[in-house]
Amino acid sequence: MRNNNEYGIGLKPIFDTVIFEIKKQRKKFYFFLGVAILIVFLVGYLLQLFPGYLLPDTQAGYFSGGLTFIEFLTLFSACLFFSGIICSEFDKKTGFIVFPKINKYKLILGKYLGNLILVVFIMAIYYFLLGLLGFFYYGGPINIRIFYSFGFAVLYVIALSSFVTLFSSFMKSVNVTIISTLLILLIGFTIADQIVTLIFADSFEPLYSIVYLGGLITSVLQNPFPDPRYAEVTMGPPGMGGGFTFGQWITPSIEMGIILLLVYIVVFFVLAAVLFKRRQL
Amino acid sequence: MSEIVIKLENLTKRFGNFTAVDNIDLEVCRGETIGLVGPNGAGKTTTIKMIAKILRPNSGRILIRTNHSELLDLQNVSSTISQMGFLIDIPNFYNMTAFQLLKYFAKIQKYPKDQTEARINELLIRFKLTEWKHEKVKNFSKGMTQKLGIIQAIIHDPDIIILDEPQTGLDPLARIEIRKYIRDLQSQGKTIFVASHMLYEISEVCDKIALINYGKIIGFDTVENLAKSLKINVLNCILLKPLNTSDIDSLLNRLSKTLSPYLDQNLETRISKIPVRYKPEKQELKFYFDGKSESRGEILKILIKDFESDFTVIAFTQPKTSQLEMVYSQMVKNNEPEGKRKLNGDVFKN
Repeated sequence: MRNNNEYGIGLKPIFDTVIFEIKKQRKKFYFFLGVAILIVFLVGYLLQLFPGYLLPDTQAGYFSGGLTFIEFLTLFSACLFFSGIICSEFDKKTGFIVFPKINKYKLILGKYLGNLILVVFIMAIYYFLLGLLGFFYYGGPINIRIFYSFGFAVLYVIALSSFVTLFSSFMKSVNVTIISTLLILLIGFTIADQIVTLIFADSFEPLYSIVYLGGLITSVLQNPFPDPRYAEVTMGPPGMGGGFTFGQWITPSIEMGIILLLVYIVVFFVLAAVLFKRRQL
Repeated sequence: MSEIVIKLENLTKRFGNFTAVDNIDLEVCRGETIGLVGPNGAGKTTTIKMIAKILRPNSGRILIRTNHSELLDLQNVSSTISQMGFLIDIPNFYNMTAFQLLKYFAKIQKYPKDQTEARINELLIRFKLTEWKHEKVKNFSKGMTQKLGIIQAIIHDPDIIILDEPQTGLDPLARIEIRKYIRDLQSQGKTIFVASHMLYEISEVCDKIALINYGKIIGFDTVENLAKSLKINVLNCILLKPLNTSDIDSLLNRLSKTLSPYLDQNLETRISKIPVRYKPEKQELKFYFDGKSESRGEILKILIKDFESDFTVIAFTQPKTSQLEMVYSQMVKNNEPEGKRKLNGDVFKN
C-alpha cells in the first residue's frame, strides 16, 4: 500500500534541491553577478564619462544601449548554469548517489529551478542597476517598457535554458554541452539567419531562431515598435564595389515572439524529459 | 520463517548482445545479511543498479516490501523507497562539504529535521571523519570518500541497506570498523545486501552467500551448506616445527590410513589427489574431511594421541575464508561457459 511517507510524493524534495543547488552554484553566481555589475558600470556609467559621448535623447534609448550586452550575458549564463543539469549526473556519476534517494525528475526540476532563480536574479540586478542609472540621468518616472523588456529577458532565458537542458539530456559531458550550445547559439543561429535572409529576403522570417526571438528584449523598448520589421541596408557609397544592399529582419512581432518562445520551451522540455527517461547510468 | 523483503524474479538485463544478468531468482528475508559474490563483470553491480531503479530490467521483476506491507513490484512504485539505502559503485559526490551533502541527503529522504545534525555527527564520529565535516569532498582521500559513501547510504536509518563493494579503498583498520558497523546494523535487525570481491569480509558478516557468475546465480546458501554441496570441508592443522622432508610421504600415508574413516574418500582429484596435504611454507597439514562435526573431534584426538612423536599441533581450525575461496573458485570454474573453460584450462589446483 502506498502512502506519501513511503514514496516521497510532494514538493518538499524539490524545494530542498532548489536550496541545495543554489548553495552548490554559489561561486558561479558570484562570478556572473560580478560580470553583470561590471557591464552595467561600463556601459551605463563609464561610457557616459568619455568626452564627446552624447547621452541618448530618451530614457528608453539609454536603456536600449545599456541592454546591448544582456543577450550575451543571458546566453553565456544559460549555457554555463544549465549545461550540467542532466549530463553531470551521468558524466560525473553522481547519479549513483542521488537517483536512489529522490525521484529523478524532481531532482532535475529542483536543480533547474535553483539555477533559474540565480540567473533571473543576476538579470534582475542588471536591470535594477540600469534602472537606477536611468533615473540618475533622466529622472523619474522609470519608463515602463524596461519592465516589459525584463519580462522578455526572463522568457528568453527560460527558452535558452530549455534548449541547453535538451542538449544536457543526451550529451555525454558537461564541457561538450557548454561548447556545443554556445557555438550553436552564438554562431550557428546567426549564420543560419543570414543565409536564410540572403536567400529568401523578406518572404521568410527566421522564426526558428531563438537568438532572433531574443531581439525582443531591446526592440520592445522602442516606441513606436519597429514597423516594417524588415529593412534593407546599403553598405558604402554606390559604385567601386560599394553600395551593397542586403536585407535584415529587425525583430519578430511581440505576439509571435511570445508564442514561439513558449512553444520552444514546451517542445525542448518535453524532448529533454523523454531523452532523460530513456537514459541509463 | 521471517518475511521476504526483496525478491528478484527471473531478472534479466541485456546490454546489446551481452547479457549482464541472466534470469536471476533471489529472495532476501528481513534481518538477513546476504553477500553477493562474483568475479569482475559477473553482474553484481548491474543487479544492485536494477534494485536501485537506476537500470531498467529487460525482463523479470523486483519485488520490495517495506514497513511490513505486501510485496510491491518496484516498477510500479512511482518514486524512490526511503526505507532503502544504497552505496553503488565508487561514490562520486557533488563538490560540497560532507556536512552540506549529508544534510541534503537526510532532508530529501525525510529524516527528522531535529535529529539530522545529531545523526550526522554520530556517523562522522563512528567513521572518524569529524575533522572533515566542513571540508569539501574534493579534498577527501579515496578511503574517506568511500566512508562518506557508506554514511550517505545509512544517514536516514533505512531498514534495508544495499552496499556495493563497501570495503574498496579502505585501510585494514577502516575495514574492521566497517565490519563492526555492519554487525551493529545486523543486531538492529537491518536487512543488508553486500556485493564484494573480498571473500573474508563477506564470510565474516554474511548469513548467506549468493555466488554470481556470467549473470547467473550459481549458488545461494550459507558458506557451510555451499561447502557441503561441493564436498569441500577442510581442516587446517598448524605444527610447532616443520616436518622432516624425508619423512613427509610416509607420514602423509600413515595419516591417510589412520584417519580414513573421517576423511573425504570421494574427493575430486582436481581439488586434491589425496585427502591429507602438507604445506611446508606454513608448517601446516590440511585435511579434507567428511564435514561431520564429530569427525573434527576424532581427527584432533588421533593427531594428538597417535602422532605425538611425529609433530606437535599448535592450532587446529576449520577456516571459513579458505572454504569460501574454494567454494567460490570451484563454482565459478564449474559454471564457466564451454568456450571460456577451454581457454582457462580445466585445472583447479590448490
